[in-house]
Amino acid sequence: MPDERMPDELDDYLRGSSALSYQYRRESSPLPPHALDRMVLEAARPEPLESKKPFKTQSLAPFAFAASVLLSVALVLAIIFGPQAKKPDDKPRVVQVRMFKSEPPRAALVSARERNPAAWLADITALRRAGRRSEADVEMRRFRSAYPDYIIPINQ
Amino acid sequence: MLLLTMEPQDTDAGLMLRYRDGDAAAFAALYAHYKGPLYRYLLRHVRNAGAAADVFQEVWSHLIATRARYEPRAKFATFLFHIAHNCAIDFFRRDLNLRRAMPVHDPDSQLLEPEVPEHQRPDRVAEFDEQQSALLAAVAALPQEQREAFLLREETGLTVEEIARITDVPVETAKSRLRYAVRKLKDSLRPIQEPEALPLRTYA
Repeated sequence: MPDERMPDELDDYLRGSSALSYQYRRESSPLPPHALDRMVLEAARPEPLESKKPFKTQSLAPFAFAASVLLSVALVLAIIFGPQAKKPDDKPRVVQVRMFKSEPPRAALVSARERNPAAWLADITALRRAGRRSEADVEMRRFRSAYPDYIIPINQ
Repeated sequence: MLLLTMEPQDTDAGLMLRYRDGDAAAFAALYAHYKGPLYRYLLRHVRNAGAAADVFQEVWSHLIATRARYEPRAKFATFLFHIAHNCAIDFFRRDLNLRRAMPVHDPDSQLLEPEVPEHQRPDRVAEFDEQQSALLAAVAALPQEQREAFLLREETGLTVEEIARITDVPVETAKSRLRYAVRKLKDSLRPIQEPEALPLRTYA
């Protein structure tokens, strides 16, 4: 009976004393080619692989966490104390800035008469003759500030 | 302690632990010890020199790539040959898909012949065939699972339980595969082992 002999065969074989194992061990024992040896041993060198990675991915995790916390805190502080948040007692500060160009400040706003100093002086003379001295004085001060170098004739 | 989980005799697991921690010399020692059995297992299992070389390199590459996760839960030989088993399974799967993808030869077709992979080149197949003795030819003729069980036993000396673990089957299945392999090999070799006596020639 074939089934009855199988356990004996297997046990005999597993004991390592069978003719089958003996014959198998007498067979040639080929080895991998030397080129294959070199390739595997070259690939197994761990040092170059590690030197290319100065930081392991896991080692950056604490820094990433700390950066996240810092950013979160900064964002919260910016929302609470930032420039958009106005307190009720805050008063707006008005700062007046006056910018001067090469021409006097009134030069841009003056009328056509004031751009003509002779005409402006004629008007001032007319005001004096009409007895409106205070107005004539005001206009003269304006004239002086506008044309500080203008030589006014003596009769003005 | 980590080392307590492995068998005291398994110095190979200790070498692998050293390699995991960066000792390249430990890998060289492991490689020198296992390259022969692993290469012969693959050569006689996939039955092709080129394919065996490819899978051999694949096995070691996998071990190298995953060394950081190595824990000695079993004998190192079991660990290594489990990788080899999986790589061989992948090879057989790829090979089967390749054969299926090859178009049926049509003499009228003007299409170019598909590129033949290295392991299927006729010279590489012949190289393997020429090395075969009667026993190796009988081993090569075994069904894939029986052939693997026999080769694992012969090349590594592992127990049936360890062979079952490597091949991911119950112990009884591994035992059955080995039993059938042994029986077939013995039957195929019997005529060679016990040749009939030739009649003496008589000359008048």
